[in-house]
Amino acid sequence: MTTRIATPLAVIGIVAVMFLWVSTLTLDSIEQRTLNTSYLLDRTQEHVILTVISSGLVALLAIPAGIAAYRVRSKAVRAGVVALGNIGQATPAVGVVILLAIVWQTGFYTALISLVAYCFLPVLRNTLTGLEQVDHATREAARGMGMTPRQVLWRIELPLASPMILAGLRTALVFSVGVATIATFINAGGLGDMIVNGLKLQRYPVIVVGAVLVAAIAVLIDLAAGLVEDLVRPRGL
Amino acid sequence: MTGTLDEFLARRWEDLVTLTLQHLAVVALSLALATVLGVLIGLLVWDRNVPRTAALTAAGIAITIPSLALLALLSPILGLGWAPTVVSLVFYSLLPIVRNTVVGLREVPAHVIESARGMGMTPAKTLLSIQLPLAWPVIVTGIRVAAQLTVGIAAIAAYVAGPGLGFYIFKGLSSLGSVNALNFALTGTLCVVLLALLIDGAFVLIARYSTSRGLRV
Repeated sequence: MTTRIATPLAVIGIVAVMFLWVSTLTLDSIEQRTLNTSYLLDRTQEHVILTVISSGLVALLAIPAGIAAYRVRSKAVRAGVVALGNIGQATPAVGVVILLAIVWQTGFYTALISLVAYCFLPVLRNTLTGLEQVDHATREAARGMGMTPRQVLWRIELPLASPMILAGLRTALVFSVGVATIATFINAGGLGDMIVNGLKLQRYPVIVVGAVLVAAIAVLIDLAAGLVEDLVRPRGL
Repeated sequence: MTGTLDEFLARRWEDLVTLTLQHLAVVALSLALATVLGVLIGLLVWDRNVPRTAALTAAGIAITIPSLALLALLSPILGLGWAPTVVSLVFYSLLPIVRNTVVGLREVPAHVIESARGMGMTPAKTLLSIQLPLAWPVIVTGIRVAAQLTVGIAAIAAYVAGPGLGFYIFKGLSSLGSVNALNFALTGTLCVVLLALLIDGAFVLIARYSTSRGLRV
């Protein structure tokens, strides 16, 4: 519990110290162009929007797909999902983003689609595994009480699998923050812009502000997801 | 047509092999360093509540930091190339390795530790010659997770001139619109996938042959 309070405070503290440090610097014209409130807010907004929309889409697509994969109860489908999941995990995010940009176009929608594609498999796999881990006896007891398969799914299996599903979504969310940083390479905006521009133009303050903000967003989103996880999880668990 | 994949591979396969080996080398080096460091941290904190929670929390937060951000922060200090790449790969490998070391050491049943103590072993001796070998399979699993993670991150490290296949992926991006753009990005990405799968497979063998003989299944 202390980490729940200490970590966000530490993050806010670090960000505050960083801005204090920047305010003591005399910025040249290149730095002034990026280190001002409206630019920072725009980039942060782009970053958060990309992350949240992609994670939302992943939740909408991957969880039903996982449920469907579970309900067909076929060994081939399961093996396929696991194999695809392993290959997906082995695929570098930067490769997915850049390949899609080459075969299609650069920009926000490409970044969005590659983020969704990248996070889809882990969430699908977690949903499937979570549902499968439900104790067989529990399922049978539910059927014995007269529940229909649909009721068993909604009232027994999904609640019991929810910690696993939520953990998958949380990982996807944190991952999206990282991949959204890479989105700058294909002109999709976000805080990655600052990191890349800072490196190119050798402006250390720009790199630091971009990198620290992106790291702060990642840590805070992870914490927020942890809180939501605790709230959404069924009480009995 | 000069842009076919066949021709591309025929002309550049040597290049591709070199990059793949570089990629493997940087991952292997980082994993070796991270294993030494991570197991050491695990050995130091596993039985002390406060340091253990602190270490695991810190590592858990560290792993959420986007890799491009870390690489960008490191490069003004460490320059370009191998140094920032290795440091960041070690950084991201620590969480799975430390966590699994702690879990593995704590999972050793109390009566086993008691027997060792009863035979006259000191706590340090018990830790190193009883608990560590028993925990090793769990630790190897942690290293395996770290390997999957670092193969992917090493691809991004090409942006700060790190070694490996990321070079081809970024070359694909920078030659966007030319005939070979897709070939560069595609071969780079596919080789990373292949390498990751091969390394993952290799860990089955590594786990088997680095585990103490009596514990092999």
